[in-house]
Amino acid sequence: MAGDRSDAQGARPAHAERNDQLATLLPRVALGDQRAFADLYRLASAHLFAVAVRIVRDGALAEEMLQEAFVSVWHHAGTYDAVKSQPITWLTSIVRNRCLDRLRRREVDTRPLVTDDDTDAPAWEPPSDGPSPVDLLLAAADARALRGCIETLEPGPRQAIALAFFEGLSHRELAAHLREPLGTVKSWVRRGLATLRRCLDAAGATG
Amino acid sequence: MNLSRSDRRERLERLAAEFALGTSPPRVRRRLIAIARRDRPVAAALSDWERRIAVLADDVPPMTPPPRVWRSIVGRLGLDPDDAKARRAARWSRLAAWRALAITSLVGIIAIGAAEWRRAPVVLPAPLVVALAGADAKVALIATATRGERYLTLKTVGNANPGAEKVFELWALPQSGPPQALGVIPQGDIVRVPLPNPADETLSNIATLAVSVEPPGGSPSGKPTGPVLYSGRVERMY
Repeated sequence: MAGDRSDAQGARPAHAERNDQLATLLPRVALGDQRAFADLYRLASAHLFAVAVRIVRDGALAEEMLQEAFVSVWHHAGTYDAVKSQPITWLTSIVRNRCLDRLRRREVDTRPLVTDDDTDAPAWEPPSDGPSPVDLLLAAADARALRGCIETLEPGPRQAIALAFFEGLSHRELAAHLREPLGTVKSWVRRGLATLRRCLDAAGATG
Repeated sequence: MNLSRSDRRERLERLAAEFALGTSPPRVRRRLIAIARRDRPVAAALSDWERRIAVLADDVPPMTPPPRVWRSIVGRLGLDPDDAKARRAARWSRLAAWRALAITSLVGIIAIGAAEWRRAPVVLPAPLVVALAGADAKVALIATATRGERYLTLKTVGNANPGAEKVFELWALPQSGPPQALGVIPQGDIVRVPLPNPADETLSNIATLAVSVEPPGGSPSGKPTGPVLYSGRVERMY
């Protein structure tokens, strides 16, 4: 990959520098430092907004999720624990959880999203531009020298995990999108996660 | 249902993984969040999986949100849109929220799992170390203590200066609850700040130390009143 500075072999990945800055800002935000909060927003909002847009697939809703996430960060920055997670990982989890909670609530409200006999109409259209979920999964693997590990995932589990993670699809939506029985999709997700766990833990142990 | 029992470990792992990936049904999500509030193994499993999974999002191409998002955040929190000039009342009014750690998101779950600290195998002469850095990430002060000592030693490594007619005050930031004043930092390159109890006791529940600028004699209110210039994590080497 002709990547810029996200190459794991590079001198100092941009991710690492941003994480260092965020790690310094979070305790200051916890103490009510508004300037630190503004800096945190400037550093992290574009990444977090992108994560939200991919999951909720609606710009206005993504804006609302980002707002809620930052309001939560202002109130709870003191609970960030640098030993447990990287700052951007922690912030991403907050945004993803907001989005997923909202999506799942909406799913209950408006179901059924697709009916079983509606196989010609996909529940969801992939974004027409930008990298696909599987591309993103492999890009993440590249950045962490995990490619070989991700590639050991069979195509089904790999695609199911990528769609669930990057696009926020539920088991039911995955089944509709991949046109596979619900049980098959669930088992793909389960197997894929078990493999990913071994990979990510092995990578984490060295870094 | 007691998910924390070891014979259900596999099931918990699977539930936590699917929670972090986001495929859990809404009822399972809500239930796991509720259980994690009072059950540490469950909280730890969820936060471990969140950590594993969220790493994957690192390479999503960034998208700059429209400026109205920041304006709305500032508006909702009642902050000064001019960021630099903080309103003192608003700045500390939210501290009450810390006590009520009834958090609706995973933030709370991560906090519950936060009690475990890294242990270094080597015994060092100064087992408590805090590097206090400013917004530029440059370390300005280093605080050290050994477990039984009733003082912190502070060494100035940059040109940290509170300014005319001002002093630095040192604060301990607990895992939850308002900042605790540790006292005014005396002038000098290497100084001591006395502690009420042995350092390991005083800092047992403290995640972070911070330094604010205060009027002579320290904060009149018991809370930081001036800007917070430096902060750093408490690293325990024992």
